[in-house]
Amino acid sequence: MEIDKGNSRAGSSSGSPIEFRLDPASGVPTYLQLVQQVEHALRLGYLKPGDQLPKVRDVVASLTINPNTVLKAYRELETKGLAAGRPGQGTFIQATLNQVALPELTTLRRPLLGWLTAAEAAGLDEDGIVALFTSVLRDFFKRRGGSADRRGAVNGETEDVG
Amino acid sequence: MNVIETNGLGKCYGRTWALRECTLAIPAGHLAALVGPNGAGKTTFMNMSVGLAVPTAGTVTVLGDQPVGSPAALDGIAFVAQDAPVYLNLSAGDMLHLTRNLNRRFDQRYAHERLAGLGIPLGKKAGKLSGGQRAQLALTLALARRPQLLILDEPLAMLDPLARQDFMATVMTSMAEDGVSVLLSSHALAELERVTDYLVLLSGGQVQVTGEVEDLLACHRVLTGPAAEADSLARQLRVVQARRGGAQAHLLVRTGGPDDPVPPGWEAHPVSLEELALAYLRSPGAEVLPGPSLVQHTEPTEVAR
Amino acid sequence: MTVLTMPAQPAQDTAAPRPVPWRRMIWVTWRQHRAMLISVLAVLGAISVFLWIAGLDIHHNYAVMTACRPAGSAACQTLSSNFTSTDWTMANVLGILLQLAPVLIGAFAGAPLLARELETGTFRYAWTQGFGRARQAIAKLVLVAVTITVAAWAFSEVFTWFFKPFLGTSSLTVLSATVFDARGIVFAAWTLAAFTIGAFAGMLIRRVVPAIAVTLGAYLGLNLLAWLELRKFYPVSLVTSNPSLFDGSTNSATSPWVLSTWYTGPGGKPANQSVVNQVLALFPHNGPPLTNETPAQALARHHITEWFRYIPVSRFWPMQFIEAGWLLALSVLLIAATVWLVRRRAA
Repeated sequence: MEIDKGNSRAGSSSGSPIEFRLDPASGVPTYLQLVQQVEHALRLGYLKPGDQLPKVRDVVASLTINPNTVLKAYRELETKGLAAGRPGQGTFIQATLNQVALPELTTLRRPLLGWLTAAEAAGLDEDGIVALFTSVLRDFFKRRGGSADRRGAVNGETEDVG
Repeated sequence: MNVIETNGLGKCYGRTWALRECTLAIPAGHLAALVGPNGAGKTTFMNMSVGLAVPTAGTVTVLGDQPVGSPAALDGIAFVAQDAPVYLNLSAGDMLHLTRNLNRRFDQRYAHERLAGLGIPLGKKAGKLSGGQRAQLALTLALARRPQLLILDEPLAMLDPLARQDFMATVMTSMAEDGVSVLLSSHALAELERVTDYLVLLSGGQVQVTGEVEDLLACHRVLTGPAAEADSLARQLRVVQARRGGAQAHLLVRTGGPDDPVPPGWEAHPVSLEELALAYLRSPGAEVLPGPSLVQHTEPTEVAR
Repeated sequence: MTVLTMPAQPAQDTAAPRPVPWRRMIWVTWRQHRAMLISVLAVLGAISVFLWIAGLDIHHNYAVMTACRPAGSAACQTLSSNFTSTDWTMANVLGILLQLAPVLIGAFAGAPLLARELETGTFRYAWTQGFGRARQAIAKLVLVAVTITVAAWAFSEVFTWFFKPFLGTSSLTVLSATVFDARGIVFAAWTLAAFTIGAFAGMLIRRVVPAIAVTLGAYLGLNLLAWLELRKFYPVSLVTSNPSLFDGSTNSATSPWVLSTWYTGPGGKPANQSVVNQVLALFPHNGPPLTNETPAQALARHHITEWFRYIPVSRFWPMQFIEAGWLLALSVLLIAATVWLVRRRAA
């Protein structure tokens, strides 16, 4: 019995490229799961700037979750600068998680390798290096003010570690 | 706007108080779950909110400050009682026509589309429909009235898992599309965890917990640590429920917020809504209410008022 | 704290919403009580058809019988005795049975009207709709009451026509108990009263079957009260001392209804009872009178006058209006009380 005919039609009702899925056993709050899935889709290229996120009504009909949860997730994405709502139309992706260009990445690698060599020489093992780095990272962004990181290219990578 | 606001509301049948000293304010735009064991007073509360029962004590207003049973209240609230009552000798189409005639607003097209989508034939007598179909019919009639507040008394009790999902999907969609606020009662909290964002916990005719789910979950946690320290910790914190083994203890505590420091040597875990509700239901003296009457305790394993 | 606090629907009236129009209740009442209304109309209709067919036959027999000449011949006597035995028997039985019609209609139409909602729990649906429970009740009660009353009136007209020949041949007049009730506007009024008693009982007791039982009991009590006592007190009676009105020589169909008699002596004071008894002893019930005088002459010799309080047949319509009047007032009161009961369970 399909209540939400939109999703069963080819291409989905509003043409959002992605579809959400919940993992009830993960312990991660629902709204955060939605945020993470959007970011993941951005990274993998399923979503590009200008794409529309699934309509609240469609998400709610297929996942049977509270619409306020979806709204909270979308607001979080807006705060992070990844999405923007257009009144009467929906929520659209407006930025990507910055993919830094390859030459820039190479330029960043070298000093990092140097620092790692110095850390090892000082006697830190792998876990110690990770702990030190994580704590400095946290302080760095705290001082920057707010959880929003607007142009943090490393954002996507280090979140997995934390 | 508060969709339902009560002050000292109570209802007495003979000598038993089905509901007592109920003071709460349920905000609009939420799905509020009224949770409690059988006989806790959920149906009594709902009946008083829609005018089917007269309060013995206290007051109740709806949709802002409308008196219960006033034309504005009747117009803006759609109620589906337990067992989804409809006229069994009328067909689904007749029930649509009937509801249309008895209300100012009725979205005929929506009702037809929904029933068609659910596979409920308009010509079939309501008595011949399955329990799930009748529940969906009653819900369709209620939603087609385009209410501001939808009140559902134990709507899922008679439904199989698929029907429950369909039912809740309809309710959620209505919230998303039309801004309908919802109050529903249930004694099966596990099902409601995904959809509820406001909780009212009733036990023995009294309100034990009321608040936004987000806030409730943010200010409760389970602390796991050495059983030996449990008692001393319990004196400093507000413990709702304690479980202990020989060496290890779990304390479900109420904190000031998610940033409260974790006592050294203890681990903090988030709680689920179900865990929270069950803990309170097992601790009759504990309550989380707006205002100063917060949890106090002296015993480590239970909480006194 | 949610976007949803601003509903997407059109702006709500901040004042009380416009009430749902009354005319909607016509379809609602019809659909909810279709089976009952059709049954009542069908039964009354079927009996009416029977009365019409049988009535044609009876009217024919009556015409033949009265036109029969010579009046005393054996053939005419046979016609007459046939008429009184078969036709009259049937009509008599029907007339008595029809006394039950108002209460049966009232009980089976009125009692379940509201009680069934309460018994089956559908009031939890009906009383939370926008139309409002009191307005629903008023509309239903009035619509069904009017329909049933009109149907009852039409039916009583058919029966009046059917019964006409018997007013001349039986000892009944239009003021006789079973006849008065079955014609004019009183039959319809009793049906209305029974219906409103039923509806009130249904709302009070909230269970259909006990409500029907109570309706039957209350109606029968009221009806008996009217027959035995109330009608005597309608302000239409006359007093006379002229005995010629009552000597039975006039057509029995127009003989007045004597309510009571009393005797006065000289100067208008109450008569000496022993003297009265002496005089009356001259005219035993079984056997010929012991004197050639009429009772009036015999009494006059002792300066005693016999007085009669009576209701002449010409007062039929005033009586009808009085009875229909108080029945209507009672019905309106009961409808108001029923609606008040409906409201009382409200906030």
